[in-house]
Amino acid sequence: MTAALAADGVRKSYADVTALDGVSIDVERGAVFGLVGPNGAGKTTLVRALTGTTAVDGSVSVLGSDPADVEKSKIGLLPQSFSPAARLTPRELLAQYGGLYDEARDPDDVLAAVGIDGAAAEQWYETLSGGQKRRVCVAIALVNDPEVLFLDEPTTGIDPAGRRALWSLLEDLADGGTTVFLTSHSMAEVERLADRVGFLNEGRLVAVGRPTELIGEHGGRSRLVVETDDARSLAGLGDVGADTADFPFEASATDGVLSVEGVGPREIDEVVNALESRGVEFESLTWKQPDLEDVYLELTGESFGESDDDVASARGGGR
Amino acid sequence: MSRRRRIRAEFVAAWHAFLRRRTAVFFTFFFPAIIVVIFGALIQTQPTGGGLFAEPKGYYIAGYLAVVVLFTPLSRIGSTVARYREGSRFEKLATTPLTRSEWLLAQSLVNVAVIGAAALLLLALSVFVTGTAVPTTPATLLVVPFVALGVVLFCGLGAIIGRVADSQDGVIAASNAIALPLLFLSETFVTPELLPAWFRPALGLSPLTYVARGVRAVTYPEATTAALPNLLVVAVLAAAFFAAGAYAVPRTD
Repeated sequence: MTAALAADGVRKSYADVTALDGVSIDVERGAVFGLVGPNGAGKTTLVRALTGTTAVDGSVSVLGSDPADVEKSKIGLLPQSFSPAARLTPRELLAQYGGLYDEARDPDDVLAAVGIDGAAAEQWYETLSGGQKRRVCVAIALVNDPEVLFLDEPTTGIDPAGRRALWSLLEDLADGGTTVFLTSHSMAEVERLADRVGFLNEGRLVAVGRPTELIGEHGGRSRLVVETDDARSLAGLGDVGADTADFPFEASATDGVLSVEGVGPREIDEVVNALESRGVEFESLTWKQPDLEDVYLELTGESFGESDDDVASARGGGR
Repeated sequence: MSRRRRIRAEFVAAWHAFLRRRTAVFFTFFFPAIIVVIFGALIQTQPTGGGLFAEPKGYYIAGYLAVVVLFTPLSRIGSTVARYREGSRFEKLATTPLTRSEWLLAQSLVNVAVIGAAALLLLALSVFVTGTAVPTTPATLLVVPFVALGVVLFCGLGAIIGRVADSQDGVIAASNAIALPLLFLSETFVTPELLPAWFRPALGLSPLTYVARGVRAVTYPEATTAALPNLLVVAVLAAAFFAAGAYAVPRTD
């Protein structure tokens, strides 16, 4: 069966900046593919390559055809910084974009599916909240009931409840056979929705696989994080060469935070007892299984302390 | 049917979007009105010599209409293109069945409707304020295709400006830089006789010249040019600029 989406050796440069450097992926029909990576990694450029809105080197196909030749009614796109006419209501916007297709879903049904109804459907777009605006944009991408749906950071600015509602909607679409290509900065979102995940870093696809496979391969081990107000009490723990006969665990300590690696649920007691026997008074204990965020940090080489803004400014923003 | 459906959907959206920007609506109609008041009522025509306008009042009706035919579509389409680019709307539209020419046609039709109304107001105002008599013959109705085709022509040019300029500020600056010389060097308010002989052939390079000559031919009995040849030129230029403008509408990054 032909893949819904395929890219082979895709390259794209903007002046001296390489946005995509030989990216190859394929997405099966009806699957949800999550694409993650730092700002500026090339996610949006890959979406544009797959939707045919930018010219690239290499080959790209959507539903077995060149993006320029594929039937437009089969594609739905939410661009990253999409902003429709400010002084139209959501219902009017859905009528506008729905009117571009021979057949389109009922605007009210689509708006209700993304949680925009009642008074909100009759307000000008510019008066909606940030989260409502983004939901209207998602609705616009859905109005033609596409076979392949491209969503470039669809839940940015949406509150947790709205995000979960949107996730349920996307799960329903995927269950119904819609292929979804999703970019996101939310690892929880990708982990929940995606059948397969691709990690893009500096224009290169550094890992692709099922979330569980990637976590097993790159996520590291489960760990226990111990926080204390008395950083001195952690002296010797986690130091190379220190006497740790009474604390036989692999650990690292920084600024009053001790991270004990490879701790399973059954070993938590042992760690706690060992800490208490050394007189460590801790404020909190957090046991954490590796997840996609750990995979992200491992593959992109970023640290926990690096905020999105830091990353954005360091890499020059999205492209 | 689908093509009509697409154009209609885009037209209705653009129409509502325009009508709800009150300042844009106000100035679209205020701008030509103020031109008539300044030139027609304050400066006035002084055919006996002196003053800025030395021709009979009816001569300048074509100039007044040229103001709306030129400025409004140029700046409106240019800034619409810039606004669409900033909101990634062209990127979205590129994945829909709407073509670039359909998009520009829908936007042009909105401009034809808006500027048609403004032109009607301006015509009535110029008759009322300056006391000019406009011939009431069937030929006078040719003003309608001159205005409509002129608007389409400058919508095409506006799309090109929108493509070249990288922001709404850039569009405004570029539109003014192009429109101002065109307005005064297209046989609108300045007669060819007031210009150096060596420059007069250049008047034929301005598309607005043919709009002004054509409108004058049907609104000013002493006009020295015929309407239909100018209408033909305006129609050909409108088709050419529309095609170039549609090609210039961005579809990729």
